[in-house]
Amino acid sequence: MPDEPVATDAVLSVRDLKVSFATRQGELRAVDGLSFDVGAKEVLGIVGESGSGKSVAMYSMLGLVRDSNVTISGSVRFEGREILGLSDKEMEGIRGGDVGMIFQDPMTALTPVYTVGWQIVEQIRAHSDMTKAQAMARAVELLGEVGIPNPASRVHQYPHEFSGGMRQRVVIAMALSCNPKLLIADEPTTALDVTTQAQILDLMEKLQQSYGSSIVIITHDMGVIAEMADRVVVMYAGRPCEIGPEIDVVRRPRHPYTWGLLGAVPRVDSKNQRLVTIPGTSVSPLDVPEGCAFAPRCEYKMALCDQRPELHGPRDHQDACWLSDEQRVAIRSAPVGEAS
Amino acid sequence: MSDEVLLRATDIVKSFTSRGKKLGERSVATAVNGVSLEVLRGETLGIVGESGCGKSTLARCLVQLLPVTSGTVEFNGTTLTGLSRRQLRPHRREMQLVFQDPYASLNPRRTVGDIVADPLRVNKVGSDDEIAHRVRDLFVTVGLDPASIRRYPHEFSGGQRQRIGIARSLALNPSLVVADEPVSALDVSVQAQVLNLMADLQETFNLTYLFIAHDLGVVRHVSDRVGVMYLGEVVELGEADALYDAPYHPYTEALLSVVPELNDTDAPRRERIIISGDVPDPSDRPTGCAFHPRCPAATDECRSDKPAFIELTPGRFVACHHPRNVAS
Repeated sequence: MPDEPVATDAVLSVRDLKVSFATRQGELRAVDGLSFDVGAKEVLGIVGESGSGKSVAMYSMLGLVRDSNVTISGSVRFEGREILGLSDKEMEGIRGGDVGMIFQDPMTALTPVYTVGWQIVEQIRAHSDMTKAQAMARAVELLGEVGIPNPASRVHQYPHEFSGGMRQRVVIAMALSCNPKLLIADEPTTALDVTTQAQILDLMEKLQQSYGSSIVIITHDMGVIAEMADRVVVMYAGRPCEIGPEIDVVRRPRHPYTWGLLGAVPRVDSKNQRLVTIPGTSVSPLDVPEGCAFAPRCEYKMALCDQRPELHGPRDHQDACWLSDEQRVAIRSAPVGEAS
Repeated sequence: MSDEVLLRATDIVKSFTSRGKKLGERSVATAVNGVSLEVLRGETLGIVGESGCGKSTLARCLVQLLPVTSGTVEFNGTTLTGLSRRQLRPHRREMQLVFQDPYASLNPRRTVGDIVADPLRVNKVGSDDEIAHRVRDLFVTVGLDPASIRRYPHEFSGGQRQRIGIARSLALNPSLVVADEPVSALDVSVQAQVLNLMADLQETFNLTYLFIAHDLGVVRHVSDRVGVMYLGEVVELGEADALYDAPYHPYTEALLSVVPELNDTDAPRRERIIISGDVPDPSDRPTGCAFHPRCPAATDECRSDKPAFIELTPGRFVACHHPRNVAS
């Protein structure tokens, strides 16, 4: 919806973002027409399987995709200011300052050759005029806030002296060090065990309340989305196929891909029957169909699916599928049979 | 599922010795610390636990890929521990493995047809023609195109590779398949395909599965019975639904409470029990109950006495001084 007026309270506003790479095999469309807003203090979840373009979308809007063969178009507004196409120097002022980042693997997000305190101090001093001593005091305070015991002594330790969960806490402390207005978390708990994941998600929720940051959380795990997100974007093959409030998407999913994605999750809370499967595998981003990207795997494919569906539907819960509301009701209310 | 015990492990201990922090010092990490369990013919026994709990080491000890430090493993009535490699060979045919990473477990320089034929050739089962025929059958069985046997692993997607790994494991008609995190590297839609395939194969070939995974949802879905491991010990074991619905051990209870749920019904969410801290170092085990430093219900008894692994209610085993959710 490129023409739609930008929501005034949106911290981040993305319109028709396209990211493609020129490769020897032709144009690789990693992100193809992504639009969404993140409101103040809102948690937006972006969910999709590997290769759906969810991480590339985030990295490209932050100027972190440095491939010389990349073409990025569209509009990304952060607090009303267009940030797509800003110079490296201008972006450096935003990244790590007003926009904090949490990456999947806390070991590679931290450099092994400096103490964690040094790394936090460096980031604080890059974005403020604190003295080293002030920044170090702030680093100790941050480590305490993220639940690291004995922060005053641990601040002088190296990343390898921390466990995986503790390292991720350090990364979160770094991301929060400059009171960001927006926090981008790319698979923040994927590398962690479930009890550690619970600790980190709990921490993120608490900190979000005390810092008031908006969060974009990128994950492949529908469960994490359900626990954390206010709104969800479901991505498939670089395109958004459904967007809406978390509770609506999980309880009343509209797109056949979302139906499959939700039905394929083995549940802890009840013994499910045979899992719903989506036949085939994800399309190659080199070879996304002109029409609906999901059509080759979709049980409900029709002639119309050769044309690309745009997001449509009620304003707050939209999806990109040609099925009419009546067809969907009929499909969803049919007795749950075995998906082929 | 029958009551016939296919595999019985008694008090398995596996420890690894490495150099300690100081010169000349030795450090002993006990990865598996006294595990006893039975796998019944035709069932799926799921083993669930977090990383480092010893679940993969246990699997390797059970199939004799790793020598146990102490304890015995009986398979089909034969004691395997202590047998020579030659004596083990006929039994190995009966126990096959499916590995986690379908990229690392298939040799990239060999065709997938050769990979699946290997177990047959090694065990000299049939003529070349018979083997070729069998390989084609196996490809059909796991849902792959038999015309692709001359291709190489890199030409397949992750899910297809895992099907190749499954075909290889079935080549010798084993009675036990040990699957170590077989779906954790796969996307959720592909994971569902592989889990459904494994369920179909179990029915068709009357297979017994030992299914190891960290994903609690996957384990509940596939398992008849489930064992929960913590720091090298099975802390709770029982029928899957009963264990998930009313966990006895505080660790199981906490573990289940924090799995992110889809929350797609109005049923109230299980209250989250967030246990603090990290799993202790297996070379420096806590005294008493291994879980006591993180347990919300720990008492002095837990700190000093190690709880025995007992059958608290029929079919439900737990190692805890203060079990929860026990119907009286």
